[in-house]
Amino acid sequence: MQWLDRLTMRVRRLFHQDRETGLLDAELQFHLDQQIAENRLLGMEEREARLAALRSFGNPLVVRQQTHETWRWMGVERMLQDVRFALRQIARAPGFAVIAILILALGIGANNAVFTLTHALLLRNLPVARPEELVRLALEFPDDDARSKNVPLNLPFTEAIGSRARSFNGVFGWSVYDFVFKDGAEIHGIHGATVSGNTFEVLGLKPAAGRLLHAGDDRPGGGPDGWAAVISYRRWEENYNADPRVVGKHVTVTDHPVTIVGVAPEGFEGTLVAEHPDIYLPLEFDAALNGEEGLHAGMRLWLTTFARLKPGVNRRQAQAEMRVLLPGILDVVLPPQARHMPRAAQIQMDVDPASTGWSELRLQYTRPLLLLQLLVGAVLLICCANLSGLFLARASARQQEFAIRGALGAPRGRLVRQLLVESLLLAVPGAVLGVGLAWVAGPWILHALGNRQAETSLSARPDLAILAVTALCALLCAVLFGMAPAWTASRMSVEAGLRLNRRTSVGGAGVRRFFVPFQVALSLALVVVASLLGSTVVHLRTQDSGYKTKNVSFYIADFNRLPEKGDDLVAMYRRVAARLRTMPGVEDASVAEIPPLLGWQSWAVFEAAGAKTTSPTKEPNGSHVNRIGSRFLSAVGVPILLGRDLRDDVSDDGSCLLNQSGAAHFFPGESALGRSLRQTLNDPETFKETFTTCEVVGITGDSKYDSLHNDHPAIIYLPVTAQTEALSRLFFVIHGSSEQANSVAYKTALGEIAPASPETDPFQFQQQFNDSIAREQLLSVLSGFFAVLGLLLSAIGIYGLVAWTVNQRTMEIGLRMALGATKGRVFGLVMRQIAGVLVVGMIVGAVAAGFAAHGVRTFLYGVKAGNPWVFLGAAGLLGCFGLVAAAVPARKAVEIDPMVALRAE
Amino acid sequence: MGKPSDLVQGTLDLLILKTVLLEPMHGWAIAKRIQQVSGEVLQVQQGSLYPALHRLEQQGWLRAKWDASETGRQAKFYTLTAAGRKQLEQEAANWNRLSAAINLIVQNG
Repeated sequence: MQWLDRLTMRVRRLFHQDRETGLLDAELQFHLDQQIAENRLLGMEEREARLAALRSFGNPLVVRQQTHETWRWMGVERMLQDVRFALRQIARAPGFAVIAILILALGIGANNAVFTLTHALLLRNLPVARPEELVRLALEFPDDDARSKNVPLNLPFTEAIGSRARSFNGVFGWSVYDFVFKDGAEIHGIHGATVSGNTFEVLGLKPAAGRLLHAGDDRPGGGPDGWAAVISYRRWEENYNADPRVVGKHVTVTDHPVTIVGVAPEGFEGTLVAEHPDIYLPLEFDAALNGEEGLHAGMRLWLTTFARLKPGVNRRQAQAEMRVLLPGILDVVLPPQARHMPRAAQIQMDVDPASTGWSELRLQYTRPLLLLQLLVGAVLLICCANLSGLFLARASARQQEFAIRGALGAPRGRLVRQLLVESLLLAVPGAVLGVGLAWVAGPWILHALGNRQAETSLSARPDLAILAVTALCALLCAVLFGMAPAWTASRMSVEAGLRLNRRTSVGGAGVRRFFVPFQVALSLALVVVASLLGSTVVHLRTQDSGYKTKNVSFYIADFNRLPEKGDDLVAMYRRVAARLRTMPGVEDASVAEIPPLLGWQSWAVFEAAGAKTTSPTKEPNGSHVNRIGSRFLSAVGVPILLGRDLRDDVSDDGSCLLNQSGAAHFFPGESALGRSLRQTLNDPETFKETFTTCEVVGITGDSKYDSLHNDHPAIIYLPVTAQTEALSRLFFVIHGSSEQANSVAYKTALGEIAPASPETDPFQFQQQFNDSIAREQLLSVLSGFFAVLGLLLSAIGIYGLVAWTVNQRTMEIGLRMALGATKGRVFGLVMRQIAGVLVVGMIVGAVAAGFAAHGVRTFLYGVKAGNPWVFLGAAGLLGCFGLVAAAVPARKAVEIDPMVALRAE
Repeated sequence: MGKPSDLVQGTLDLLILKTVLLEPMHGWAIAKRIQQVSGEVLQVQQGSLYPALHRLEQQGWLRAKWDASETGRQAKFYTLTAAGRKQLEQEAANWNRLSAAINLIVQNG
């Protein structure tokens, strides 16, 4: 218990200083009194006795000080002293503190919010055993296209790799599904996954209740007790109150009997980030849904495949092994015809790190998020530079204080520490406020990213890692903006400082002149990026998409389980569409294979019939096609310029429509109407080529196809026929008086004609249009916000610099005016100086902006990264801001009364 | 007024610990005793005793207690703790080694 005594003593001495000091004084006084008494006994006079006692004792004040020093406890006491002093300093200028904290809160909050998303999507490790050993296996095709990478595998691939590769301790496939979950009378949709039987074993997970899936569950037809399923911890808590009796429960998943065998561990959300499955079923369940052939088809690529590296094997070794094994694996997996195509020889297997899982969202959002991260980083730097300037201004006002403290013996290190403590005391509340800001802003950014899936499934709540990064941010800020004043303060000599008066100053000027151009440069880069992204959004919004989107709704038909197939199903679609057209409030209704602007594509290889057979189209996959019913085009507002619309009739199965771009592409310089197009079909099983032809019966206006970001492509419109792929999942399109009326009409018509098929939620075309540019919109709004922030902060910085300069040069200006300088000349003098600073900042900023613009070029549409007008405009805007900010304090220079200024010295 | 060198400081610690080995004593008495025992050779300034006393207390080698002195006035008495006793043995051993070595050099030289 001895250490406890010592600790209490130290704490006592730390916190009860006054009392302890009093005791020390009493102790020393006792000593002196004893000595005096002894001296008196030796016969000395009272006065002599006292002096002799002091002589033998030494200076009591020094003894007291030295004894005091022994109490110091690891600098904590000095730290408390610094903190107390810093708090007093801050309280003396509360306005300054509030501004500093707000600036920091904005900077840190923005960083925290964006980092939260980056962390959730890109950085968070999966909560599994040794996540760093996980890898993802994906195919890479030789095309120069974003879609040619990260291609998923299928079950034959996964099995072949699992049985051949020596690098892995288990290979498993993962696929997500939406199921219909039925427990007793309760029925609802559930997000789930089908996974290989060994998945949980390879991941090294322990169940929260019951057991997890194992290889024995992954058999055709499931077990004797139906399919085995594991539910998520969340579902267990929300629907079953974490009742362990859920194990063994019989439920129905998409019409198949299923037994719940266990609960996944808490916090496990699957290996596909942002998917959050609530039920896990064995992979063979896929066969129950889609047929056994589908599960084992070599050409269908659908299964995301993960593997765990054996200890001691690294990713490069695994990659090398896969390179060797791949030809043999392809022999097994691909049908012979496909195996011998030249493309097959160029396929590669990538082994990518998967400690953070994998998400399709990454393909789309990694770059925007990193861009945002850079932008907020720049904002934070501007904040720091700005605060540095403010701090320097205050430090120069406190120069005499520092000088006096130095003269009284404060070491320089102590002064520096004092200033750093002050900046930390501002940074900490700034960070706390920033976290609060991010708490509010994070979900909003996620919402604005415009992806409903991301919104519901990425948790944007800060966790420990994020708070740690934020704390680091705050610390870095404090050091960054506290450093400059500390450095200047510590460099100043004591005599110089004491001789100083308020109007002259030594250190700091150079440093301050550096901060303002730095802010200007960063702000210019921000403004350029914001303007580029802004004009992109304007282009996307105002360009002619070729469609009329108002009050147009799409409904996906779910006719999978209807008895009608083939021609009967086509006739059924036509009946529903015809009925819809007679509904009140409906202007047009039809069917289509693909709703536009949703990112979906359908390709076919076409050429002009009668042309020389080898006129390859530029697109490797052929041309964009859409299969439509009659009046689809009028429903979405695409005009028919020549000829006629397709008819809802078998007699029109051999007809097609071409848009203007298509007509110009296939029949350059000729009339396309009445000509024929020849389609080349590849049988997926036999790879035999067959041909069909269609006659162009109409020419339509141009429109965008899958996305607003591409130009108007050539589009071929074909009729919906019995041969149409995915015939049971076509889209109804309704253009009515309101979205409400569309839904009522759809519900009624469906109820009349196909009452057995489930209703589905509509896609609103207008909403779709907005969503498809949401990413650009968000980037432009946020970068605009950051640019405005940067501009304002720079303006504050410039204002501060000019005000400080005018203050410093009061005497000089007074003298000049006394010697006859006009107000205009004095004003010009001050403004010229700041203009120089601005120009330096802008030159540096133009270079930085050039790099930034180059970095965002892939986000741009309709505006070039190097557009000089954007750069000039941004520079002009910044210049105006800067000059206005400078003019306000510069006017004060003009108001200086020479007599007052000179007398003040 | 610099800090006492390590040698002197260490020696002072040793002297203090040795002095309070017998009975609890207050600062003045410790100073007196050191002076008496050393036959007035060690002219330690009495004041420099106090930083050393407080440091030893902080380190847990001495325990202090306010008590009535021989004159009836309250004084701070220092007692050796168990840890202090161990420290004393160690320092005494160090000192013996050191002084023996110095003796050796001085006499043979």
